[in-house]
Amino acid sequence: MLKRLARWSRIKSPWILHLNSGACNACDIEIVAALTPRFDLERLGVLLKATPRHADVIICTGPVTRQVKDRLIRIYEQVPDPKFVVAVGACAMSGCVYRGAYNIEGGIDQVIPVDAYVPGCPARPDAILDGVVKLLGKL
Amino acid sequence: MKDTEIIERTQGLLGGRVLAIANPSGRRIFLTVAPGELPGVVRALRDGLGFTHLVTISGVDKGDVFEILYHFANAHACLSVRTEIPRSEPRIPTLTSIIPGAILYEREIQEMFGIVVEGIPDPRRLLISDDWPAENFPLRKDWKFTRPEETIPGGRL
Repeated sequence: MLKRLARWSRIKSPWILHLNSGACNACDIEIVAALTPRFDLERLGVLLKATPRHADVIICTGPVTRQVKDRLIRIYEQVPDPKFVVAVGACAMSGCVYRGAYNIEGGIDQVIPVDAYVPGCPARPDAILDGVVKLLGKL
Repeated sequence: MKDTEIIERTQGLLGGRVLAIANPSGRRIFLTVAPGELPGVVRALRDGLGFTHLVTISGVDKGDVFEILYHFANAHACLSVRTEIPRSEPRIPTLTSIIPGAILYEREIQEMFGIVVEGIPDPRRLLISDDWPAENFPLRKDWKFTRPEETIPGGRL
């Protein structure tokens, strides 16, 4: 009973943390666009939080730079369990054009485990929405 | 002000300190000076011709020498001051006493090329990460980078 309640509440209110680990800002703009009333992510219970301690889902953009690697792990560890990571954009998936540069570690999945990938450069708001919904469907 | 006028006035201001002067295209002037003369030359250009805007400092690794270019602009033309320093002893004087904004470019030059900027008020790193190993200068041509081994989550290809 309690398990079902926890599952229901998790699916109904995935609070998100928007995290940029070295992106060019294009994916971030698309995420902000996805949160606007036009796409209305809030009808799914999605709420943007300012701190990782309140979040359930981390929406990550950009490749992981050498400087941000430790900080990204620290932020990931601050998110209470159960936590999910959505990698938005081509850079977050593989490093894309930055792959192999001296200050880049690679995609998000080289550092923290990723649950859903949203391709695109930048990913469209509908694609980001679809990615989050697919992630919720997995629960 | 025409290019020819700028060149004439530059030569008048600097005299023998100019090793070479070139005007490859319109509104584009290249000066070559010795590295020791840089602060004096830049001060003369700033006060005499109004080259107050330091656009950027770029470095070129030419093997035995590093070529450093200081790109200046005024209302009429872009002027680049070239100077060459030996790779064995890479030292340039700072311009921060003349153009305070030069410090950001000088800090970057220091970490990317391993060039020592003498007299820089703040020699900290600028862009490179905190855990970067010392004596690794990514923009030098002989520096090689090996990409860290990537893992595929789930182990599938």
